[in-house]
Amino acid sequence: MGKREGKWFYLFISPWLIGFIGLTLGPILFSIYMSFTDWDLFQSPHFIGFGNYKTLLTDDPLFWKSVGNTFFYALISIPVGMAISLWIAYYLNKKLKGITFFRILFYLPSVVPVVASSLLFIHLLAPTEGLINKGLAIFGIHGPAWLLDPHWVKPALIVMSLWGVGGGVVLLLAGMKGVPQELYEAAAIDGARSTQSFFHITFPMLTPVIFFNLVTGIIGALQTFAQVFITTAGGPDNSSQMVVPYLFQNAFQFYKMGYASSIAWVLFIMIMALTLLVFRSSALWVHYEEGKANE
Amino acid sequence: MSKISHVEKAIAYIFLIVVGVLLASPFLYMISIALASDETTVKSAFTFVPAEFEWSNFVTIFSNNNLGLYLKNSLIITVITIIGSVLSASVVSYGFARIKAKGSKILFVVLLSTMMIPGEVTMVPQFIIFRNLGWVNTFYPLIVPSFFAGAFNVFLIRQFVMGIPKSLDEAAMIDGMGHPGIYWKIIMPLTYPILAAIAIFSFSWNWGNFMGPLIYINDPEKMPLALGVQLLTTVGGGQMPPWNLVMVASLFLTIPMVLVYLFGQRFVYEANISGGSSGIK
Repeated sequence: MGKREGKWFYLFISPWLIGFIGLTLGPILFSIYMSFTDWDLFQSPHFIGFGNYKTLLTDDPLFWKSVGNTFFYALISIPVGMAISLWIAYYLNKKLKGITFFRILFYLPSVVPVVASSLLFIHLLAPTEGLINKGLAIFGIHGPAWLLDPHWVKPALIVMSLWGVGGGVVLLLAGMKGVPQELYEAAAIDGARSTQSFFHITFPMLTPVIFFNLVTGIIGALQTFAQVFITTAGGPDNSSQMVVPYLFQNAFQFYKMGYASSIAWVLFIMIMALTLLVFRSSALWVHYEEGKANE
Repeated sequence: MSKISHVEKAIAYIFLIVVGVLLASPFLYMISIALASDETTVKSAFTFVPAEFEWSNFVTIFSNNNLGLYLKNSLIITVITIIGSVLSASVVSYGFARIKAKGSKILFVVLLSTMMIPGEVTMVPQFIIFRNLGWVNTFYPLIVPSFFAGAFNVFLIRQFVMGIPKSLDEAAMIDGMGHPGIYWKIIMPLTYPILAAIAIFSFSWNWGNFMGPLIYINDPEKMPLALGVQLLTTVGGGQMPPWNLVMVASLFLTIPMVLVYLFGQRFVYEANISGGSSGIK
């Protein structure tokens, strides 16, 4: 029985197991090896030890610039996006006429493929004819050149990311539905206003969802690619260059396969370190209902 | 929430309408550019609310710019990847959920841990493998990997299968049914809702995927829409891209996503909840 079961088990999981060996484990080992060589796809690779990592970390200002830009982008777009999505969820959770319409409307931008939204934002963010600067002009604000200005290109990408803010609202709304109604009733009897019960009841109960959104947000932001590639190609003056577009450039435009592999591993370490940091911090601020945490 | 006062109601509506207008206006602008004439496009004199209705753009894009071909390529790639990812993840998840064997627990941990590896790590070596197989400028690098069961999909279905009472399997086993029969006739049909969610995830990932085609496809005849749209903007000789046509193509890229969301949101919602909350715990 046991042996027969084993045969069936491996037969059933074989699609994954073969893929794991051929498309994940094999490539990982290959990538580690490549990162220690100077391979350029055309000549045979030479083993250069930690040469790529040394260059990357000590002698490549453009890499550090792209790391800095990526972190700047992540550090602002994630908290701002999370605050706005929480704010939106607060209102979308109210029992109002037509609320379903608003829920759908607020979610729609997040299903727009990034290619389409990037091309659209080239126009929305255009210096004089763009809709955003025209809108700002109504309030007497002279808008910047956004994607064309080295100082404003990162804020421009952040504005772009905020259009899709509704994507994170879905889980927040689901979390809000899970908050026991009695808590609000008790708070109302004690005279709490709705904003008070939001900060003292809803918010703590939502911290697991916020935690989830934070982790996925960090991983996503550090992997930003298509927006940059399409709107600015890293410019102007490399002020929007980010890690993944830089990796892409090295691998598929310069064919520096070894160097690109070392960038990938440094990126992997950055993602892991940040994720671990957030997981460690969660004990301080993520509230789990007692007894439910180990469910 | 309990009773809402009139003031609160008014504030809520003002907020929802203001944010709603802000979020909806890019869509309106997209339509406005898509319907602009060539003269307006050259001058970049687009209006917020459509002022021109150049419906012929929707014909031109097919006759002059290969849109039909891009759509066909996207459709082929997307349909096959959906079939591949749903089918493979479904089979594999049955193995993990229902068959006890030596090494199954460790392998499941391995499967979960692969979710932590960013695609960028395997991107370069995979390219070299597929290049050596002669797969550059074919659909294979975009569709073949989907037949090897994505870890997240396996995880989602497995969680779902774990919730199905084991007595069903046991009864079938007494009737002499083996694992293939139990999987195909009993378990799989019960997992349709989660399979639908995975089909939708797979659709949205592949329909809009830009990086994959960018790496593997250079031949315009083989490009899916997401890459083809971008190709429209890369015109040489200091010329302006035909932005009105680019936006028409962007609409063709966007509308299927919207439709799939509208019709499939029920499944996605449930999968999000179960996947999201199990991810938290």
